[in-house]
Amino acid sequence: MSLIELKDVGYSYNGEQKAVDGISFSIEKGSYTTIIGHNGSGKSTLAKLMAGLLPVQEGSIRIDSLPVSEENMPKIRERMGIVFQNPDNQFIGSTVRDDIAFGLENRRIESADMEAIIDEYAQKVGLSSFLDYEPQNLSGGQKQRVAIAGILAMKPEIIIFDEATSMLDPKGKKEIKKLMYDLAGGDDITVISITHDIEEVLQSDDCVVLNKGKLFMHDRPEKVFAKADLLRKIDLDVPFIEQIRDTFMNKRIKLKARDLEGMAEELWRYRSNH
Amino acid sequence: MAISFKSLSYIYDKDMPYAHKALDNINLELKEGIITAIIGETGSGKSTLVEHLNALLLPSEGSLEILDYNLVANQKIRFLKPLRKDVGLVFQFSEYQLFEETVLKDVAFGPLNFGYPAKEAEERAREALKLVGISENAYQSSPLELSGGQKRRVAIAGIIACDPKIIVLDEPTAGLDPKGAKEMTDLFVSLNRKMNKTIIIVSHDNEMVYNVCDETVVLSHGKIVYVGDTLDLFNDPDKLKEFDLLEPQIVTFRNRLTEKGFRLSKKARTLDLLSEEIAGQVRK
Repeated sequence: MSLIELKDVGYSYNGEQKAVDGISFSIEKGSYTTIIGHNGSGKSTLAKLMAGLLPVQEGSIRIDSLPVSEENMPKIRERMGIVFQNPDNQFIGSTVRDDIAFGLENRRIESADMEAIIDEYAQKVGLSSFLDYEPQNLSGGQKQRVAIAGILAMKPEIIIFDEATSMLDPKGKKEIKKLMYDLAGGDDITVISITHDIEEVLQSDDCVVLNKGKLFMHDRPEKVFAKADLLRKIDLDVPFIEQIRDTFMNKRIKLKARDLEGMAEELWRYRSNH
Repeated sequence: MAISFKSLSYIYDKDMPYAHKALDNINLELKEGIITAIIGETGSGKSTLVEHLNALLLPSEGSLEILDYNLVANQKIRFLKPLRKDVGLVFQFSEYQLFEETVLKDVAFGPLNFGYPAKEAEERAREALKLVGISENAYQSSPLELSGGQKRRVAIAGIIACDPKIIVLDEPTAGLDPKGAKEMTDLFVSLNRKMNKTIIIVSHDNEMVYNVCDETVVLSHGKIVYVGDTLDLFNDPDKLKEFDLLEPQIVTFRNRLTEKGFRLSKKARTLDLLSEEIAGQVRK
């Protein structure tokens, strides 16, 4: 069942050039969808439109058949959370505990109930022993986990990650990606992630490729990456294995294997036969 | 000549109850004329280290010798302007620092500030913009109208226009798409190879570091744990494990090839070089 439906969505910041233009696709409930595209392809604009942070100018976005619009915003916000790129810009509380509590307070959760909720979600993101830490004593990955805990505590159905790992070090990236995979693993949460990380795209169920504001492809990740030459044309990276294939193709050596081991084997056989 | 840190420590909020020692007794020599990478986890002290290079931070203890300047803890410095002209620092997400009305004015701001006459400052700005690949029809637009990758290149042009001897870049490829990241890497490689600039890069991108950086410094909890040849570091499984570093994909692939029987040199640090070596052997 599709949970989110976009129909001919368009948006322009300056009234002239369209940042997002005629985009239609749908996202299944409980799925993990990655959105990729070069800088300026419209990825973040699209995420902001889905989250209601920008008004839909053309077409429509429906979440569970409810249109994303100003009057529906309170209802939509209840069902959706968004994690941004910069871990430093989304820390509101003075401690981890306060930060997770912030959203709950806004929802007027009784303070007697709050403690248990905070504990539950701090545990879920692996920060139980950090509840009294101040933000400056946390790593980037930990700050992002606090942001995620705060969102999870609101029990959203949809979480949008807007390049949530791009400012983190390799260790932080790994932490957050693991958490994202875990969240997407269940049926309760639909994950939408805007990313440049190919490894992450390969883990997702569906991949939406944007180019210059338009929908370029929407398919399973392995099918998307099978069209390496097309991706390269629109300035996107391709998995390392495809880079190897291309590089050897330029040397007139055609490789068919699908992994590093297979390619090494193929090259060795090639050498032995010549 | 070298850049040398001598028993340098830096303490944030010194004499406060929450004082934090970000750099702890650093002894380090960086070579001029090469590309050096500074890597390490978030919070390991990388940015604190490089912010000493143009005296944005001054040592709490110890000293730093750089070019003809000597920064010593608790000593007043009188050469701030010439030092900052010679050592250009490009911050993380430098695109947020653009402020002038036009791209050209923004890039000319640095040379003007360092005392070049207006005409020469503009010439320098034009040259720098050309070098970073910003086309002339963008010179009169507002820097805010450019894409993220272009903005960052304009910020770097602002540094290049001041003709520094040393260029320090704090995470220059973070947040750029793959094409933007590659252009950025090509840019600082050519600044080094063609214009002889000393390049120091703070990065989390081990693949890029392996491909182009001559030497690598690994920081951990404010201390230096490795300084030396980049290829030696990433080809040593014990060191990778010890410093918790991911093996570059090209090293993984070369190891698979070696296991099959190929004899390949460590110098094949990019896919192009590696495929050339292999093609040579396959066709023999």
